[in-house]
Amino acid sequence: MNPLELLATILLIPLASAAIICLFLRRGGYAAAAVSVVAAFGIMCLSFYFLFNWDGLAVTGALPWLELGDYKFELGFLFNYEAATMLAVVAFIGFWIHVFSVGYMDDDKDKGRFFGGLSIFMFSMLGIVLADNLFMIFIFWELVGFSSYMLIAHYWDKDFAAAASKKAFIVNRIGDFGFLVGIAWAYHYYGTANISEITAIIQVDPSKTVTGIGLLLMCGFVGKSAQFPLQVWLTDAMAGPTPVSALIHAATMVAAGIYFMVRIFFLLTPETLEWIMWSGAIMTSFAGFCALGQNDIKKSLAYSTLAHLGYMATAIGLGFPGLAIMHMAMHACFKATLFLCSGSLIHACHHEQDMFKMGGLAKKMPITFIAFFVATLSICAVPFTAGYYSKDTIIASAWGLFAHGDGTQYAWAFGLTMLGALLTALYMGRMLFVVFFGQPNSEKASHAKESSLWMTLPLIVLGWGLSLGAGWFVYDWIWAGGAMDAMLPTDVAHFMVNGFSEAAPGWKGAHHIYEEAHAPWVEWLSYGCIAGGLIFCWFFYGRGPSADRLQTKAPGLYHVFERHGWFDNIYDAYVAKVQQPFANFISLLDVAVIGGLLVRGSAAVAGLVGMVSRSLHVGNIHAYVFWFLAGVVLFSAFALGLL
Amino acid sequence: MDNFYNTLILLAIDIPMAAAIVLLFGKKLGESVSKIIAGIGFIAPALIAIYLWCSFGDAPKEYGYAYLRSFDLGLHETLGISLTLGLNGISAPLFLLAGLVGVAAGLQAIMSKAERKSTYLLLLLVMQAGLMGVFASVDIFFFYFFHELALIPTFIMIGIWGGFGRRAAAMEMTVYLTLGAMLSLLGLIYIYQATDWEGFNLIALTEYVKANSISEVVQHNIFGLLLFGFGILVSLFPFHSWAPRGYAAAPTANAMLHAGVLKKFGLYGLVQIAAPLVPEGALAWNPVLIWLALGNILIIGLVTIAQRDLKMMIGYSSVMHMGYIFLGIATYTVAGVGGAVILMFAHGLSVALMFVLATAVYQRTGTYDMRAIGGLGMKAPILAGFFVAATMASIGLPGFANFWGEFTIFIALWKNYPWAVAPAVLGVIISAIYGLRASAHIFMGPQTEAFAVASEGKTITDITRAERIPAIILLIGLAMVGLWPRSISESINEQLLTQPVYSPATMASVEQSAKPVAATAEQKEEPAS
Repeated sequence: MNPLELLATILLIPLASAAIICLFLRRGGYAAAAVSVVAAFGIMCLSFYFLFNWDGLAVTGALPWLELGDYKFELGFLFNYEAATMLAVVAFIGFWIHVFSVGYMDDDKDKGRFFGGLSIFMFSMLGIVLADNLFMIFIFWELVGFSSYMLIAHYWDKDFAAAASKKAFIVNRIGDFGFLVGIAWAYHYYGTANISEITAIIQVDPSKTVTGIGLLLMCGFVGKSAQFPLQVWLTDAMAGPTPVSALIHAATMVAAGIYFMVRIFFLLTPETLEWIMWSGAIMTSFAGFCALGQNDIKKSLAYSTLAHLGYMATAIGLGFPGLAIMHMAMHACFKATLFLCSGSLIHACHHEQDMFKMGGLAKKMPITFIAFFVATLSICAVPFTAGYYSKDTIIASAWGLFAHGDGTQYAWAFGLTMLGALLTALYMGRMLFVVFFGQPNSEKASHAKESSLWMTLPLIVLGWGLSLGAGWFVYDWIWAGGAMDAMLPTDVAHFMVNGFSEAAPGWKGAHHIYEEAHAPWVEWLSYGCIAGGLIFCWFFYGRGPSADRLQTKAPGLYHVFERHGWFDNIYDAYVAKVQQPFANFISLLDVAVIGGLLVRGSAAVAGLVGMVSRSLHVGNIHAYVFWFLAGVVLFSAFALGLL
Repeated sequence: MDNFYNTLILLAIDIPMAAAIVLLFGKKLGESVSKIIAGIGFIAPALIAIYLWCSFGDAPKEYGYAYLRSFDLGLHETLGISLTLGLNGISAPLFLLAGLVGVAAGLQAIMSKAERKSTYLLLLLVMQAGLMGVFASVDIFFFYFFHELALIPTFIMIGIWGGFGRRAAAMEMTVYLTLGAMLSLLGLIYIYQATDWEGFNLIALTEYVKANSISEVVQHNIFGLLLFGFGILVSLFPFHSWAPRGYAAAPTANAMLHAGVLKKFGLYGLVQIAAPLVPEGALAWNPVLIWLALGNILIIGLVTIAQRDLKMMIGYSSVMHMGYIFLGIATYTVAGVGGAVILMFAHGLSVALMFVLATAVYQRTGTYDMRAIGGLGMKAPILAGFFVAATMASIGLPGFANFWGEFTIFIALWKNYPWAVAPAVLGVIISAIYGLRASAHIFMGPQTEAFAVASEGKTITDITRAERIPAIILLIGLAMVGLWPRSISESINEQLLTQPVYSPATMASVEQSAKPVAATAEQKEEPAS
C-alpha cells in the first residue's frame, strides 16, 4: 500500500464505521460501541504504522473532485510535520476517548447515535488534518461543526442541549462566513486553493501576503477555536456527554482552529499576527478569571481550555507556529485527562457536576485522583511535566521578543500570559482541593466508587503517562543510554520533535530567543506564580468546602467572573431584541407591501394592475422602462392577434 | 439502437400521459388497480431517466445533444414547430431530477390518504408528463407547451386538495404564474421574430445567432421579457409572494413537483435559452439581476427566520435558495452557471424531501406551527434523523449536493462581483439559523404542553414506509451528488464550455459594448468588498 492509499484508508475507516452504525446499528448498543472503538483502534494503529515508517518528506497527492471551466476542486492530501503531530494526537487521544466512552455511556440508551457521532467526528477531524487545499479544509471544517452539533445535542430531550447544539453550530457558521469569503478571495488572488502552491507563490514573492485574506481566514479559526468574540459556544457545549467535551477540547474541534492557523501561517501578515497575539493573550487571563466563577466542574474546565487556546494563539502571534502545535499536543494530553477525570467523577457521583457537592474523592477514587493531580501539575506548567515545556516557553519567548527589542506589545503579551499562568494555578488548585480533599459534601459523592477499567485505563495512559512525560521528547533524550532503544527508539518520536521544534519556527526558536534575553527571573517568576497560586488556594478555598468562599465573601466579584463579561447576555439581547424583531418587521413588510397589494386585488384584473403599479415603485429606471415596454408589447400582441 | 434511446425519451413523456388517460376513462377500475397504473406512470419515467442518464456520457451527440430526434406534427412547414426531443449536458441532469422527484412525489401520493384519489393521481401524472417533456424538449415552443401542461394541474390541485387558505393561494398563484408564463411566451415569440421567423428549434436558433447578430436593443428587450417572465415563475424577488403561500396550501405531492422540478423551468430557460441566444441583453440586465438575487437571499432569508409555520418556512427558504441560483447565473462563467445547475438539481431534491417530512410531522402532530410542537424526536427518532439530514442538506452541509452548488457559486461570484460575495455568504448564517431552529423546535427539547395535550391517548409512530421510501430516494440522490459531484458536473461542464456566453473571452468583448450600464452600477456598489 503506498502512503497515499494508507492515508486514504485512515481517513475512510471512521466514515465506514459511521455508515455501518447509521445503517445497521442504530439500536445496536454495545455492538455500535464495538464498531466505533475498533475503528478508532484501527486508525491509531495505521497512523502510528505510517508515522514510524515515514521518511519526513512531505506526502502529497490529489484527485479531481469537481471541475467546471477553469475552476477545479481537488480532494488531496498534504502530509508534513505539523500534520504528523496532529495525526498522532487525533489518533491516539481519540482512541482513548473512545475507550473511555464505553464505560461512561454504559447506562445510555442511544449508544448507536453517540458512537456513530464519535466516528463522524474522527472522520471530519482527520479530513482537516490531511487536507491539502482550502476548499477541502472548509468541507471538513463544516463537517466538524455538524459532528459537534450532533454530539452536543445528545441529550436532546433537554432544552439546554437543544439550545447549546444550535448555538455551537450557528456561532461556528458565523466564523465560517468570514472563512468562506476569505477562501473565495484567496482562490482568486493566488489562482489556486492548494496550500503547497500558495506557499510556493509566497516564497517567490513575499509581498503577496494580504492582511485582509489572513484576517478573513482567521474568522474560521476564531469560530472553531472559540476565540474572542465567538467564544460563547464553548462553555454551552458542555451540554454534551463528557467524553464529547474531552474530544472537542483536546483532540478535535478547537484544536482544528489552531492547526489551520499553523497550516496557513505563511500567508499571515504581521498585522494579522499582532491581532491574533492580542486576542490570544487577553483570552489567557480573561478566561482564567471566568474559570474562577464556575461551580460546574466541566464549565470551569471549559474556560481553562479557552485560556489555553489563548496561549496557542499567542504562540502563533509571536511567530512560533511549531510552538503552538506543541502546546496543542501537550494540552491535548492533559486536557483530555482532566475532562476524562471529570467524566469519571461525574459518572461516579451520578451526574452531579457541581464541584462543591463533591469533596473527599481522593481516597474513594485513587486512580482518577492521581491522573487529575498529574494533569493539574501539567496544566500549571510545573517543571518537567508536559505542560511546562510548551506553556512556559510561550511565556518566556514573549519576554524574549520584548527584550530583543521587537516592541512593547510583546511585554503586554508576556504580562497577560504570566497573569494567565497565575490564574491557571488558582482555578486548578481550587478544583483539585475542592473536589478531592476534605469530606464528601453530598449523598451522591459519599457513595462514589472508582470507575470501571474502561474508564480508568485511559486515565492511566493519558494522565499518569502522557500528562507527565509527553514533553520529554523535545530534548532528544537518549533513553537510558541507548539501552531502551529496542523498546522506545529515539527516532520513534522523531516526527513529534520535528513537528514541534525544527520544521517550523517552533520550540527551539522560541527557546533560543528567550535564552538570548538572559532573564532567568522569568522562569522563577512563573514558578512563583504556580506555587503561589496553589498555596493560596489551599488556604483560601480550604479542603473540600461546601461553598465557594469567594462567592460568600465577595459576591459582587464572583458575579462578574460568573457572567464572563456578559457576552451571552449581549448576544441573547441582540437575537431577541434586534434580529428577531427586524426579521418580523421585514416579514410584515413582505406580507403587507409585496403580498398585500396583490391579495387585495387578486380577484382578477385588479391583481394585474396592482402588480404593475407596485413594480413601478421599485424605484428602478430599468423596471419602469421594462414595464412600459411590456405594456406596449402586450397591447400590440393583442392587436396583432397573437394571443 | 439510436431509435431505442429516442423512443425511451418519448416513452418517458407518454407513459405518465397514457396512465393519466387510463385513469380518466377508467373510473371504475378500483383503487388498487388505479394505484398500480399510477405507479407505472411514475416509476417508468424515473427508470428511463436513470437509464438515459447512465448512458448519456457515451452516447453520440449532435450539437451537444444526445438521443436527438424530431417528430413533425404538421406545424413545421407553417410555423417551424416540431416536437424535437433530446438531452444535452444541462438538460440531462434536470431530466434525471424530474424522474427522481416524480417517482418520490408519485409514491407519496399513491400511499397518501387523499380524497378522490384517482383524480388526484391523474392530475399528478399529467404534471409528470409535462415535467419530463420540459427538459427533453429541444424545441422552445414545446418547452413552453410542456410547462403549461404541468402548470395547469397545479392550479386545480391547490384549489381542490389544498389546505388552509387554498382559494386565495390558488388565485394568487394563478394570476402570478399566468403573468410570468405570458411574459416568457412573449419573450420566446420575440426571439422567433428576431430570428426571422425561422422556427423554434433551439439548435437552429443557436446556429442562427452564431451566423447573424441580433441588434442590441432587441436583445435587451428580449432578455428583459424572459428575465421577468421566468423570474416570476421562479419567484425572483420581489415577485415571490405566490410561492410560500402557494406551497403552504398545495397538497404535498403537488408542492414537491412544483417546488422541486417545475420551478426549475424558468432557471433552465435562462441558462439554456435566454443567455446563450441573447448574451448582450443578459449582460445588460445583470446589475439588476444581481441586486434582485441578493434580495432573494437577504430579505427573504430574514423573512424565513420570522416564520412560525413549518410549511411557510420551507416555502420561503426555497425562495431564498433561488437567489443563489440567480447569482450563479449572473456570473456568466462556466463555474458559476455550473454551480447554479448543480444547485437546481440539489434544491429540487432537498425541497421535495422537506415537503415529504413536513407532511410526516403534520400527520403526527396535527399542526405546522413549530412552537406548538416539541420533543417529537423522542417518539420518532428516525423521522428526526431524516429531518435533520434534510435540513442539513438544504442549508448546504458538505456531503450533500446543495453544498457543491452554493460553494461553487460563491467562489465563482468573486471573479466578477467580489463585493457581492460577502452579502451572499451571509445567507449561509441565515439558513443555519432557521434550519436549526426548526429542527430544535420540532424534535428536541421537552414536549410542549399543547403537543402533550393534543397527542394524549394517541400513539405516535415513527416514520412509516409510505414516508420513508420517497425520502430515501431523494436522500440517495442528494448524497450521491454530494459525495461524488463529478457524477453530474462533467456533463454540465462539457455543455457549458461549448456556449460562448459562459466563457471569459467572449464575455470580455461583449462587456465592452455593455459597459455604460455596468459601469454606473459598479460605482455604487464598490465599497462592499
